[in-house]
Amino acid sequence: MNLLKYIKGDKVIWTVVLLLSLLSILVVYSSVVALAYRYKNGDTSYYLTKHIFIVSSGICLMYLIHKIKYTYFSRISQIAVILAAPLLLYTLFKGVSSGDASRWLPIPGTSLTFQTSDFAKLALIAYVARILSIKQDVIKDFKQGFLPVITPIVIICALIFPANFSTAALLFLTCLVLMFVGRMNAKHLWLLIGSGVIFIAFLVMIVWNFPDAIPRGRTWKARIENFSKGDSESNFQAEQAKIAIARGIVPQGPGNSISRNFLPQASSDFIFAILIEEWGIITAIIIIFLYVVLLFRGVRIANNSERTFGSLLAIGLTFSLVFQAMINMAVAVNLFPVTGQPLPLISMGGTSIWFTSISLGIILSVSRETEVKMEGGEFATT
Amino acid sequence: MEVKKDILWRVYLIYFFMCLFGVAIIYKIFIIQFSEGEELRAQAERFSTRFFDIEAVRGNIYDANGSLLATSLPYFEVGMDVNTEAISEELFKDNVDSLSVCLSTLFKDKSYKDYRKLLVKARRSGDRWVVLHRDVSYTDLQKMKKFPILRRGKNRGGFVYLQTNKRERPFQFLAARTIGKVNENGTGKSYGLEVAFDSVLQGKSGQRWMQKIAGNVWRPINDDNEIDPEDGDDIVSTIDINVQDVAENSLMNSLKKHGADHGCLVLMEIKTGEVKAIANLKRTKDSTYVENLNYAVGAATVPGSTFKLPSLVAVMEDHNVSLDEIVDIGNGVCYYSNERVADSHPPVKSKITVQEVFELSSNVGVTKIISRYYSKKPQQYIDRLYKMNLNEPLNIPIPGEGKPYIKDTKDKTWSKISLQWISYGYETRITPLQILNFYAAIANDGKMMRPMFIKEVMNRGKSVRVFKPEVINPAICSKATVVKARKMMEGVVTNGTAKSLRAADYLIAGKTGTAQMGIVNGKMTYQASFVGYFPADNPKYACIVVVSAPSGDSYYGGSVAGPVFKDVADKVYSTSLEIHKEINHTQPKYALTAPKVKCGYQEEIESVLTTLKVKNQTNDENSEWVSAISSDSVSVSLSSKFPEETLKKGIVPNLFGMTARDVLYLLENNGMRVQLIGSGAVASQSITAGTPFVKGSKIVLQLI
Repeated sequence: MNLLKYIKGDKVIWTVVLLLSLLSILVVYSSVVALAYRYKNGDTSYYLTKHIFIVSSGICLMYLIHKIKYTYFSRISQIAVILAAPLLLYTLFKGVSSGDASRWLPIPGTSLTFQTSDFAKLALIAYVARILSIKQDVIKDFKQGFLPVITPIVIICALIFPANFSTAALLFLTCLVLMFVGRMNAKHLWLLIGSGVIFIAFLVMIVWNFPDAIPRGRTWKARIENFSKGDSESNFQAEQAKIAIARGIVPQGPGNSISRNFLPQASSDFIFAILIEEWGIITAIIIIFLYVVLLFRGVRIANNSERTFGSLLAIGLTFSLVFQAMINMAVAVNLFPVTGQPLPLISMGGTSIWFTSISLGIILSVSRETEVKMEGGEFATT
Repeated sequence: MEVKKDILWRVYLIYFFMCLFGVAIIYKIFIIQFSEGEELRAQAERFSTRFFDIEAVRGNIYDANGSLLATSLPYFEVGMDVNTEAISEELFKDNVDSLSVCLSTLFKDKSYKDYRKLLVKARRSGDRWVVLHRDVSYTDLQKMKKFPILRRGKNRGGFVYLQTNKRERPFQFLAARTIGKVNENGTGKSYGLEVAFDSVLQGKSGQRWMQKIAGNVWRPINDDNEIDPEDGDDIVSTIDINVQDVAENSLMNSLKKHGADHGCLVLMEIKTGEVKAIANLKRTKDSTYVENLNYAVGAATVPGSTFKLPSLVAVMEDHNVSLDEIVDIGNGVCYYSNERVADSHPPVKSKITVQEVFELSSNVGVTKIISRYYSKKPQQYIDRLYKMNLNEPLNIPIPGEGKPYIKDTKDKTWSKISLQWISYGYETRITPLQILNFYAAIANDGKMMRPMFIKEVMNRGKSVRVFKPEVINPAICSKATVVKARKMMEGVVTNGTAKSLRAADYLIAGKTGTAQMGIVNGKMTYQASFVGYFPADNPKYACIVVVSAPSGDSYYGGSVAGPVFKDVADKVYSTSLEIHKEINHTQPKYALTAPKVKCGYQEEIESVLTTLKVKNQTNDENSEWVSAISSDSVSVSLSSKFPEETLKKGIVPNLFGMTARDVLYLLENNGMRVQLIGSGAVASQSITAGTPFVKGSKIVLQLI
């Protein structure tokens, strides 16, 4: 296989990505029926072709990125994070709305739009990994260690937060984990968690009493209310997802989902439920297993990486991806309130798939570097 | 490495938590599938949905004059969402009785109590869908829209209906087999124009999103269709339903009279090939006749004597045989290789001309002429028949056309006597429509047209496609041969086997045929036919009548099929003004009988009588109002005495028989007030005739 020669980096990650992408194409195809009927006169192949294009171009992107030496990302992250802040601000005021959330920016010269938070997420994780690795010597110090790390995190999360609470929270948690892994002072972390909890509590209070004070206050309130009450009539989506899962006790077979007609986000937010309905619990377990494997490979790469930046970058990105996957699946099985996070590598979605591909490309780039080192015999196993 | 180790345990801790997360998700899936599963799956039943095709309205089939031959009538399944929030308890209680009564009176299938029970029960049990009635016609649906509760519409009254279409043929069995049928559910056979133009007629079906509710009932989810159906185009056929009616009835009478097994009839316009009528009837077990097989199109059978025309045309073309050429038919019997050929009637004389051979339909005569010219090279005869397209199907749109079979000399079954047998219509198979088309070509100066069944495709009254007449062969034979052939055919009616077809006003030309179809139940069965055209001097229409297996003593083409031909020809001739000659050039000066005249306005009465050429005279030119005082059989005398004169004297006249307009004018002008009841002519009056009246008094008149 000549082709394999060009593919570097962790082969297991490559395999996992290809398997999930293949599954993604199959599941998306059957879940878009309702969309297709609404917008394309029942032509599901429109969505299929589009999805195949995006997935395969994502894989190409991943290939290109993994060829880049990962240390470059350290420097790029500085520019990226500085760029992210004004972009997010701009999106907040001028972006393309979907629902009442303004999350999207058009890519100039194309008909595509992208979610600025996807970009900011990537930039922030890389940047936090960079700062943490640079500040390792003074990491336990509040002024020299804690503050330089927490400042960009708070700024970026605060800018994402008004339009997309769940992404902001997810990103914040990912950074928290990264800080924890990066040996941040436990006291400072508790302080951070404490203030986070107080902030959320404060927010909930405001939303509860003045839902119109914040742009998406009403949506949030409704979602939390529905989840806590477990009211089947009003929480239609969650109920439909549960029905889909219950029907999956006997896998209905590809294309035989019924719930896809009722789930408004069948091809993205609730794709896991459709997947269980059509392919059964075994496939679901395999998918969870694949994500766990992905995380494990990330851990291994972090373990093998010579530099702290590489370790933290690999951990930060894999964790972010797998954590988002877990959250999405938890929502689908009604373990979590409805958020709006797609299932990475499986859900249909335009440019956000490409950002996932870039993440994976960076992870693979880190693993490629360690492979090179190991082959060169310069690096002994720990 | 201290830093690295410190990082590692943290990483593994995180990893452990994520694994735990994964396990939690799997655990939750199990919970949902197993402990909560039962109830959720029951709910899923409730939510199952499907896209249903909504039938497009199938296009209509019209006859040549725009009468509907086949159409799709909408029927509705009407239901009600009795538990929609828009129907309050109060509204329901107040109206359920009257609604039940309305439904019961409209459909008469259940008592109002049953309807009430149905509605109340559904309301109580929380059903969202009750079927009120299936197969509701459009007019009934409109009535239902005025019913209590339902008149509030879909959203406010829960009134929901679904349309299905049923195919109907307004003229029922007329041309039924040719108009045809498409079996929607895939069972049974499809046939006729409906199949031939199915792609045009059917349109494009739309889709609607439906939800399954209790039982196997589906209910639409949205108000609108997800995809609207596109209705099919209409087609205009060449069939004229008035002619078809005569053809079908006349054929049926003949079949009944002769106890025939089946029969068919086709009437075609010569110039264009348009088929104006096509009837196919077959006897059923209970001795009624139905259209159940398209014999005219599909049944290729032995033609018998009608095939003598192609034979003689062939010999005239190839060898320029004249009509006066003498043939010796001896005593009407001859032998070829020991096979006997005999005429049905012994001849009056043995030496006859070709013209007479054809007129008398002499089998011996035809075989002798054909033998004379072709016995050395029989293939030349066959080639000539082929050149006249007799061995080709007509390729008409209706599926199932029978293929003609005329063997050539290379055929394995070709024998020494094949030439002679083929020459008078045996060892050959051809459909009635194909033989008719040959005769029509001769009538059309040798130009053979393709039979047409469809003139036009229309969409919402606009023409989409017009079908032009198609020429199969611009000249099957020379003009000289056409002249001879037509002379022979005219002779058949004037002197030969079809004298009974002589009509007063116009001349029919054609050929009888009586083919032996083989022995059934120990008895020879026959197929009687007549094929020809009219008017003979200026041919417009060609027609074939085939009556198969008549059971009585009469089985000759001239006596069994001929009368049907004449019935149809008479009808077509009488209704086709363009081929009529004016019958009466001279008219009598006066009408022979005078009509009864009522009293009225003199000027108008005179005008009517003059136009009708009724002799009339009056005793007072100046009187506006007159009545007929005497009318003998030929003339009318008008008098002013009555009724105006009487009125002037202040006496009410007898107004019986006067029209409303006249009576009103007359009486009101003379100072009476008139009240009219009813319409028509005066039948009775409130003040009897002869009674004096004062001005301003009122008279009531009953009109009938």
